[in-house]
Amino acid sequence: MRKFTLSCLAIVISLIFGALILWLMGKDPVASYMNLLQGSGLMEKVKYSGRQSMFTDFMSFIDAMTPMIFASLSVALALKGGFFNIGVSGQMLFAGFTAHIAAMFVPSRVVVVIAGLLAGALVGALIGWLKSRFNVNEVVSSIMLNSTLMYLITFYINTFYINPVSRQSKSIVADARLTLSGFRWEGLKLDIALAFPLAIVTALLLQWFIERTTYGYEIKASGLSPNAAYYAGMNVNRTAMLTMTLSGGLAGLAGVSYFCGYLASIQPGSVPSMGFDAIAVSLLGGNNPLGCVLASFLITVISKGSVYMSSRQHIEPEIASLITAFILTFAACSAILGRKKRRGA
Amino acid sequence: MPEVIAEFRHITKRFPGIVANDDVSLSVMKGEIFAVLGENGAGKSTLVSMLFGMYEPDEGEILVRGRKERISSPRYATELSIGMVHQHFRLVSNYTVAENIVLGLEPQGKLFGFIPYVDMKKANHDIAELSERYGLKVNPEDVIEDLNVASRQRVEILKMLYREAEILIFDEPTAVLTPQEIEAFLKILQSLRENGKTIILITHKLNEIKAVADRCAILNRGKLVAVLDVASSSTDDMARMMVGHEISFTTEKKPAKFGDVVLEVEGLGVRNVAGYDAVKSVSFRIHAGEVFAVAGVSGNGQNELADSIAGLVRPSGGRITINGRDITHSSVRERIEAGVAYIPEDRHNVGLVLDFMLRDNFPLRQYYSPKFSRNGVIRESEFDGYSRRLEGEYDIRSSQGGATITRSMSGGNQQKAIIAREIDMQRPLIIFMQPTRGLDAGAVMNVHRQIIAERDRGAAVLLISLDLDEILDCADTIAVIYNGSINKIAPAQELTADDIGLYMMGVGKTA
Repeated sequence: MRKFTLSCLAIVISLIFGALILWLMGKDPVASYMNLLQGSGLMEKVKYSGRQSMFTDFMSFIDAMTPMIFASLSVALALKGGFFNIGVSGQMLFAGFTAHIAAMFVPSRVVVVIAGLLAGALVGALIGWLKSRFNVNEVVSSIMLNSTLMYLITFYINTFYINPVSRQSKSIVADARLTLSGFRWEGLKLDIALAFPLAIVTALLLQWFIERTTYGYEIKASGLSPNAAYYAGMNVNRTAMLTMTLSGGLAGLAGVSYFCGYLASIQPGSVPSMGFDAIAVSLLGGNNPLGCVLASFLITVISKGSVYMSSRQHIEPEIASLITAFILTFAACSAILGRKKRRGA
Repeated sequence: MPEVIAEFRHITKRFPGIVANDDVSLSVMKGEIFAVLGENGAGKSTLVSMLFGMYEPDEGEILVRGRKERISSPRYATELSIGMVHQHFRLVSNYTVAENIVLGLEPQGKLFGFIPYVDMKKANHDIAELSERYGLKVNPEDVIEDLNVASRQRVEILKMLYREAEILIFDEPTAVLTPQEIEAFLKILQSLRENGKTIILITHKLNEIKAVADRCAILNRGKLVAVLDVASSSTDDMARMMVGHEISFTTEKKPAKFGDVVLEVEGLGVRNVAGYDAVKSVSFRIHAGEVFAVAGVSGNGQNELADSIAGLVRPSGGRITINGRDITHSSVRERIEAGVAYIPEDRHNVGLVLDFMLRDNFPLRQYYSPKFSRNGVIRESEFDGYSRRLEGEYDIRSSQGGATITRSMSGGNQQKAIIAREIDMQRPLIIFMQPTRGLDAGAVMNVHRQIIAERDRGAAVLLISLDLDEILDCADTIAVIYNGSINKIAPAQELTADDIGLYMMGVGKTA
């Protein structure tokens, strides 16, 4: 409950800061914020072009939010187990890429999801293994793997899998894509995120897993006090492996819902910034799975709505990133604040 | 008329769920040894920490040398010539004595007249002089990690003196010292007083207060009970005021009835992290219904001995059997199931997950058993019920019952929780490692009674303690460990405290 209050405080302060900046730029903060909601399909726009409505906006908002939920869950689980998974981006990329390849052979959504899950889990397991076998700090290994995987995949895409026009990878076949793009319904053209229900179910399952199972109990104990966990007779190394494998698996799901859903192709030469944003989203959500869903919602409103805001108000879309950055900074502060308060007791 | 050097006026300090100090007013005179006595959680550390700027009072004011001061940080306290030695020393272990002492106030020299450097020659010289003046023997060039606890404490004292502290605060200074070291320490206190220093001593050891203190404030549950003149008060009176009721100082116990051998240790060797033989070829047996106590000075292999029996470290040689079953190479969990309960010394980092709620700490070593989980799913109601039962049966107090974050509980109640958990498992062997360290007299008695009760139920008890009184109070058999080897094993009634003290120092290395 305390955490919830602190997160809300972080959001309110950031919105005030953002408003201040907009006002200093000579823009109308209230109208700008309303544009964010309109752009996310949460408020009616003034006018819509053909086959568009508030509902289509909302559906593409959900499509953008889905990978963010998975990515923040990945971070949250790792943090529960005492690990800082800064490699979500690399795991997402590897999973997305693996799923693209798998879909070339078997164009099926189930195959895409399973390939992504396994690919992410594999990278996570590697990080966990390096940690428990050689005591390699997970921050170092995961950030190094980000680069390693990115360059390997870039090489492959540029060599064998490039679309020469878009300079992106080739697109995944529609039958395997996790987003139904341009679905016709009642005269509208919708993007339907098929993975969204999976994201919500995963969040609920994860909440249950952490709070109600012996594995969750072991992960929390190992995360909070490895010595005590060892004294309790837990297999701390095995728990580390389990935590990182699951965290990687969740990042993998984020990867496929991003690269084989929200997007249909992979941009070579970069890792998705979502993997880093997810760290802050997880903090904002108090490292709690349901909190992550709420925080993902909020951050996606800002990022998704920013396109509309920038076109209406003639301000750079980066302003939205700035507000997000404020929120994330304050959330990180409040996470520390919350911890301090308890330690003082 | 003696001069008041520090004064607390109507100090109140609250923490979530507890009032640590409740309207406490007292004054400390210049040049006296002023003791602050109280049970654990009575608020003595909190009170004195406020003088050192670690906390600020919620209400009331602090006066130093007659001036009202807002002591917002230890740094400011140092400016007011107030110094403090904490219970856990704050030294950089790979620095020398002199480097530690001058840290933050290094004497500077100028190379070629303009490049500043730390003048260690001057530092070493100054510190040698200081240590001579106060009779605190240290070698400024020794590295801290090579020193024993008593020397480190002298370094901490010198650190205060180097900063020209006039008011010296000691938080439980003798908790980690041997009887001989305590005696030497008390002499140091007296010589500091002769040099005009004011000393504030936080303790719950009555005989130390009786030996050196001039006056003594007694706190009970955050309230000031009395300020006594030590010379004219008896230790019994002080003890009674401290706990609020009469306590007896020896545990009553029936003669022991030994059963079969439960634990057998043969030629056990353990290497510590540094690869050094911490335990060397140790052999002993403990019977059902026996309290087997291991006495010794800190750091002679006690930790490694206890950890290796509990399975936290692997032995490098020898055999450990429990009820005839070889557990030398078993995992921690296998040993829990074979019948080992263990109360570790480090209750914060090992014995408890401090950020867990209390109710989640009770099943810590049995959560996987069918009582607490089914098919990997935790049985919440069992966790809650178990917590309520243990809290009631073992009188564990906390602000919000089972939902209390364990970190926020007092040290005494945390220890009660660990002991409750381990005793309640009803295992044939219970290892108590320093079970009463930092606990107050009332709680100590309680633990001793529990140890005897476990013995009487037929458990084999291995008690490892640095506190001789504790060992004499509880043991049926006493072993003395020195430098990783057991020096002497004898029935308790055959040894006096002095004998044990000698074996602890490595004298009489036969047997």
